[in-house]
Amino acid sequence: MPLLQVKNLTKRFGGLKAVNNVSFDIQAGEIVGLIGPNGAGKTTLFNLISGILHPEEGHIILDGQPLNQLSPPRRSLAGLGRTFQVVRPFAMTVLENVMVPLLARDPHMDKARDSAMQMLALLRLEHLADAQPDSLTLAQRKRIEVARALATRPKLLMLDEVLAGLNPTEISENLPIIRQVHEQGVTIFIIEHLMDALMAVSQRVLVMELGALIASGTPQEVTSNECVIKAYLGEETPTC
Amino acid sequence: MELIIQVLVSGLLIGGVYALISVGLNLIFGVVRIINFAHGEVLMLAMYAAFWLNKLFGMDPYVSALLVLPALFLFGVLLQRVIVQPIQEASANMQIFATVALSLILQNLALIFWKGDFRTVQTSYAMSTLEVMNIIISVPRLIAFLVALASILLLYGFLKHTFLGKALRAIVEDNTVARLMGIKVDRLYLLAFGLGAAFTALGGILLIPFSSVYPMVGGPFTLIAFIVVVLGGLGSMSGTFLGGLFIGVVESFGGTYVSPALKEAIYFGIFILVLLVRPQGLFGKGKGTEEIGLK
Amino acid sequence: MSAKRLQLLGGVLFAAIIAVPAFVESRFILHMVTLIFFYIAMTSAWNIPVFGGKMSLGHAAFFGLGGYTGAILYVKFGVSPWIGAAAGVAVSLLGGVVMTLPLLRLRGPFFTLASIAFAEVLRMIAIDWRSLTNGSVGLNIPFKPGWANLTFQSGKPFYFLSLILAVAVVFVAYRLRHSALGFHLRASASNDEAAQALGVDTRRAHFIALLWSSGLTGLIGVFYVFFIYVVEPSTMFSLTLFSLQPALNGIIGGIGTIWGPVIGAIVMTPFGEYLRFYLGTIQQGLNYVVYGVVLILTVNFIPGGIVSLVRPKRSNRSDGSGSSSDTKEAR
Repeated sequence: MPLLQVKNLTKRFGGLKAVNNVSFDIQAGEIVGLIGPNGAGKTTLFNLISGILHPEEGHIILDGQPLNQLSPPRRSLAGLGRTFQVVRPFAMTVLENVMVPLLARDPHMDKARDSAMQMLALLRLEHLADAQPDSLTLAQRKRIEVARALATRPKLLMLDEVLAGLNPTEISENLPIIRQVHEQGVTIFIIEHLMDALMAVSQRVLVMELGALIASGTPQEVTSNECVIKAYLGEETPTC
Repeated sequence: MELIIQVLVSGLLIGGVYALISVGLNLIFGVVRIINFAHGEVLMLAMYAAFWLNKLFGMDPYVSALLVLPALFLFGVLLQRVIVQPIQEASANMQIFATVALSLILQNLALIFWKGDFRTVQTSYAMSTLEVMNIIISVPRLIAFLVALASILLLYGFLKHTFLGKALRAIVEDNTVARLMGIKVDRLYLLAFGLGAAFTALGGILLIPFSSVYPMVGGPFTLIAFIVVVLGGLGSMSGTFLGGLFIGVVESFGGTYVSPALKEAIYFGIFILVLLVRPQGLFGKGKGTEEIGLK
Repeated sequence: MSAKRLQLLGGVLFAAIIAVPAFVESRFILHMVTLIFFYIAMTSAWNIPVFGGKMSLGHAAFFGLGGYTGAILYVKFGVSPWIGAAAGVAVSLLGGVVMTLPLLRLRGPFFTLASIAFAEVLRMIAIDWRSLTNGSVGLNIPFKPGWANLTFQSGKPFYFLSLILAVAVVFVAYRLRHSALGFHLRASASNDEAAQALGVDTRRAHFIALLWSSGLTGLIGVFYVFFIYVVEPSTMFSLTLFSLQPALNGIIGGIGTIWGPVIGAIVMTPFGEYLRFYLGTIQQGLNYVVYGVVLILTVNFIPGGIVSLVRPKRSNRSDGSGSSSDTKEAR
């Protein structure tokens, strides 16, 4: 059974179908990339899966459990973790930021502090534990975002542009972290604009355009797919 | 049956004025994104202005609109510039504090200058009525309704068809994009606040022939306007209009069949009921409601 | 100042506070300090939901519910105020549930507005329900001194009772802020969407915070009524006295922090009483004009309150004021 099943998902904003009849599966242990031009509906899809938005039609099933009726926090408890494209850490220290999801599961303060420290160590942030996030670089804040999501011990981790806006050095620092998280057994679903980076980490890539899923396959298959090329070159209605 | 229709008609008439006042609030809230807790005090000032112009110069309240509306337009502009603009980027809680403080100041200044007495304007037409099919209609209330309706339509046309109106709507849609498109957002904030205040002031002018003014008169109107905006949906003129009528009718029935003293309790009850049953607002379209937090 | 010195200073100050009634005979000073303690308790209780960015301007509702419950039970049914206090807490908790459940759907400003309306509605009910509340005249607490009746000849017992209340409420607020609940509230205040995505049931957190706050405020209300011997709708449900005042104390001291409400109450209570007695008698309403001006100046120049001046980089950052659960940053 796939870890995540998305069936015929549709979300309308007024007359616009932001997500149009999208279906796909993600198997446990995969890293799946999601690409598409701006406005293709990628973040909307993430918001539907994490419960911030509600679909008009379709089903979302995580590890056999239907998510449609669950609130965002319940989906998180069910094993769904995510980061946000615009990172806004909580106005508390880095350590406390990471303690928040832990305390949502077990109110024991000392335990949460210890686990949060371990999580920071994993993401090489332990020296910043007592810093206020707004004094940090974007790359560091994005790593806090990942650390927080990872602290929920997700079965599926959805990363929304965790590399965008970083310089090449920072990307080469943050990229291995994604691999490392994956090696710990976390399944990853990742939106990324930086093609090279995405292609480097993904085993499989989904392509969205105008709300619909237009292609799926290995990075090589997708990059040679004519539809995808057309979509990126800006053809109005890709005929495929 | 006749009583019911009578109650319905008077509810609709007063509801028109509520709609007008709420449209003023909706404009300010939609464009400037500030919760103006001193909204009712603008109404209070307009009512006092009309009262004094009548008392001192014998000016008819409707005629005094020619002076009062521009004056309160300027007052609105001034409020935006002096009180709101400095805290435009502050958190909502800080904005609440500032406008609550403003309301406290205006109420108590009115108390200091004009005392706590209830004041009314005497006019020849205050008591005149029309009778249509056994339903008695108060003339000043009918005038209030018609003028309110006309001015809401006028505002609607302005927003829909003029350049400035379109710019205002663009800000309601997306502030940042509007700014990027070269719209002078800060100036339009001044315009929106001024217009909002003027519309509210017009509400005050329309009320004064049949209701009294006192320093705390504005409080319930602030509450009504907010409830109407929630009911009607942010940025929706038609929703606000319907919401205003709805509150007017509810108040009219509640006042007749329950107790006039519990008017506010009834609004509040409806407000809560709507939140429970239809959180997107009675006529809301969904967009504004997310803004308010009624998801 | 080092932490040790601060602790020492605090200890000395506290000892002095306890010793005051032994040396001070002035009823006026005792009354004033008692009032300060009451306002410390009230402001700290009000401040608990503010950890999560929810600012109520209707806390007079809970204050009045508690006070009325205690007074009605005592005056009408002869029930001891100590039992009345428990009942008062229960009733204000109930009020908290009624107000909070529907209102939690509302984002910041609308929550605040609805909270004002809630207190107003209760005030009108208190005026209207004459058989129970004696209408706008209210109920007087008969003067029968004794601990059982919570009525005293001297001002000293209430000095200590209010001190205990203040310390207890500040302690509860402190514990809550440093518990899991406190983390959830602070997370929700700064980014509610993210907090939810991390598994925090933020609505539940706000609900619990408001229950603590309403229950404690009700308890304070009961004691306050026996302190002033009277309940009447215009005082107990007063927007300016018990809804705005705690908020004002809070913002002057620093909302969403532990010490802000304490400092705010210490500074603002004597100031407010001074204004009320001197300016208020010269010209009714003038004191509130001054209040309004102070409030606007504070919002503009020290939005973090006095604590932000003392400790510019700490705890004042995570208050409700930096919240993005409000309309502003949601754009």
